[in-house]
Amino acid sequence: MQIENAKDIIVCDGVKKWFGDFQALKGVTTTIKEQEVVVVIGPSGSGKSTLIRCINRLEAHQEGSIVVDGIELTNDLRNIEKIRSEVGMVFQQFNLFPHLTVMDNITLAPMWVRKKPRDEAEETGMELLERVGIPEQANKYPGQLSGGQQQRVAIARALAMRPKIMLFDEPTSALDPEMIKEVLDVMKELALSGMTMIVVTHEMGFAREVADRVLFFDYGTIVEDGTPEHFFTNPQHDRTKLFLSQIL
Amino acid sequence: MAVTVATHERPPFWRNATVLKWAAQLVLVAFLAIVILTLRAQAATNIEDRGITFGTKWLDDPPLISIREGIDLQPDSGARALYAGIVNTLRVSISGILAATILGTIIGVARLSHNWIVNKIATVYIETIRNIPLLVQILFWLAVIQIFPALDEDSVGESLFLVTAKGVSIPWLFPAGGFYQWLVFLIIGAVVAGFVYFRLSRLKEERGGETYAFWWSVVAFVAIAVIGWFIHPVMAFWGPIFDGISSFFGAIPRVLVQILLAAVAVLAGTLWIRRFLESMRTPAGLAKLTDDDWFRMIFVGLMALIGAALFVFLPGISQTILNMVEAFFNFLGAKFSGESVAPLTYTTPAVELRGTGGFAQLSDQALVITPGFFALWVGVTLYTAAFIAEIVRGGILAVNKGQSEAGLAVGLTRAQLLRFVVLPQAFRIVLPPIGNQYLNLFKNTSLGIAVAFPDIVQVGQTIYNQTGQTFPVVILWMAFFLTGSLVLSSIVNYFNRRLKLVER
Ligand SMILES: Nc1ncnc2c1ncn2[C@@H]1O[C@H](COP(=O)(O)OP(=O)(O)O)[C@@H](O)[C@H]1O
Ligand SMILES: [Mg+2]
Repeated sequence: MQIENAKDIIVCDGVKKWFGDFQALKGVTTTIKEQEVVVVIGPSGSGKSTLIRCINRLEAHQEGSIVVDGIELTNDLRNIEKIRSEVGMVFQQFNLFPHLTVMDNITLAPMWVRKKPRDEAEETGMELLERVGIPEQANKYPGQLSGGQQQRVAIARALAMRPKIMLFDEPTSALDPEMIKEVLDVMKELALSGMTMIVVTHEMGFAREVADRVLFFDYGTIVEDGTPEHFFTNPQHDRTKLFLSQIL
Repeated sequence: MAVTVATHERPPFWRNATVLKWAAQLVLVAFLAIVILTLRAQAATNIEDRGITFGTKWLDDPPLISIREGIDLQPDSGARALYAGIVNTLRVSISGILAATILGTIIGVARLSHNWIVNKIATVYIETIRNIPLLVQILFWLAVIQIFPALDEDSVGESLFLVTAKGVSIPWLFPAGGFYQWLVFLIIGAVVAGFVYFRLSRLKEERGGETYAFWWSVVAFVAIAVIGWFIHPVMAFWGPIFDGISSFFGAIPRVLVQILLAAVAVLAGTLWIRRFLESMRTPAGLAKLTDDDWFRMIFVGLMALIGAALFVFLPGISQTILNMVEAFFNFLGAKFSGESVAPLTYTTPAVELRGTGGFAQLSDQALVITPGFFALWVGVTLYTAAFIAEIVRGGILAVNKGQSEAGLAVGLTRAQLLRFVVLPQAFRIVLPPIGNQYLNLFKNTSLGIAVAFPDIVQVGQTIYNQTGQTFPVVILWMAFFLTGSLVLSSIVNYFNRRLKLVER
């Protein structure tokens, strides 16, 4: 992919974050370019979720700076809402709205944030449901779908805002094994279509096959940063080697 | 290998579950019937021995009571006195439910506040109120109001608020001459506002953007209300119409109404059974009905027949209904005189000398809250609010944090998040337990007897003390509270069913 001379879309510079006196991020500096697919790997509790939640400001960082698509994340509410409508997020627990149909889940934000007419929002919604492979479920409620289907709806819901960036926080960790592939396939297709993506995952196959870059996270810092090839065959740091030996 | 299979014979009846179930139902019904009949016979002899006769005469006789507050202070019949008591009960219940809901919601939210003081105040409130018996609290509030200054000749005069040992009085707006003519405008305003809201919401969906449907509907309502305030006499033409409707009902023969009501009862029963059978129908035909299904259908059928029989054999019911409808429209007709008088009057509290002895009293030109009403209303409101607060807190906490995060992540504002994501879900969770609290409040108003509040219980007790008609009055009480509770809970259940989440 032609990423070398693409524009920087996310720039983190010395990002630090504390929960009380516990420091979850200890100075994260990295730059992500447009259309790049970055997979974040690391042991549980190392701060992976915290980092991507800082990028759409579900958490506020305390030191350093994060610039997303040219807008710095500060306390300015207008900036935050603008960033959030351009950054889609998919959660481990799906977090679909259980009282709304699949279609209403998808059209809610386009209609009320983007102020789109319902027809247009539903048309887009249907296209997205087709893209994630479940157009026939449009009028069902989330509780009537399987985990894999719910996660695909969650992806469609995020895409409905036409985001420039998609964040995935362990999207397959809550799924039964036979459903993991259907979600990964959707993500793969999305990556190939040129979406900028940050994916926290334990799916090493996905990292190998799809990622442009792998970040290895430990104790709130980036320990290793490189191509999948470099990461899996020639890691530089002992902690990375130890981690890989444990999971592979 | 030889396998022995027990052949399927019909089991003897004492092992046949179906037969046993039916037998059990019949035995139960028979047992109840015997108990009731025996008690009745026994009671009849006892009552005869004491020279009391139970009947309905006391409902028509003028009672020797005056009621301290309400729609009728000197009722001319027992029925009217009870009716005044019922209105007082409903007054406390409805205003208490409204106030407890608002207060409970505020305190429930305060309980979740990160502000230490707010949070602590809410916690102390809830823990204190929940752990003191309601009766004690009601007596406490009565004691509180008695601390305020007593009234005498010196206190005569007007004032914006009056808090005295004889009650609290506050400025109020009362319906006046032109009220009903204006009310028509208010109803039109509400309909138009609804229409505006609906149209603009549709427009928003069709065209996108923002149409401010809510605000425009408020504007429409206020505009029509203001215009109506000045031109309400144009509604005078309703007067003859209501008079006409009234005479129409006056002309309907009672027998016709009896037949009609009986037919409605039978029809309702039949419809219920039809719908029940319809719901049992599967694509493969009628589902096998269980014994319980049969019991339910038979029960409903019997109730419908009994209802029909009541209408046929007790003409008084139909006559009363006819009279009430006739009187209602007659009343309305008189209110549309075409006169241009202000629909509402503004009144301020005052103390005046009244009665032969010239006692200082709160003037009832403004709204007067009697000590009894105050103690009961404050008591049940604060008490119920504490429980509602806990329910509200639980409801908000029960909406998963992930829901808010998902809403924020797609770019919803805080207000939109509350409106579309958090509140609809919290509402579903809190509705059934809050409905329960409403029922409790309604039933707890009967404690008003401790502070001499003239509700249905207090009025009823006065009546049976005078007439000896204990049993009929108690039955009426029970029927009233049962009916009220059933109405309340069916309203709650209706909303609950409509809001139920669809699960697999
Ligand atoms: N809201 C929070 N309050 C306190 N500690 C938190 C909170 N969120 C995360 N943490 C802590 O921060 C650390 C990093 O968490 P997280 O980013 O979720 O890790 P990961 O996603 O890599 O498993 C963990 O030790 C976790 O306990
Ligand atoms: Mg995590």
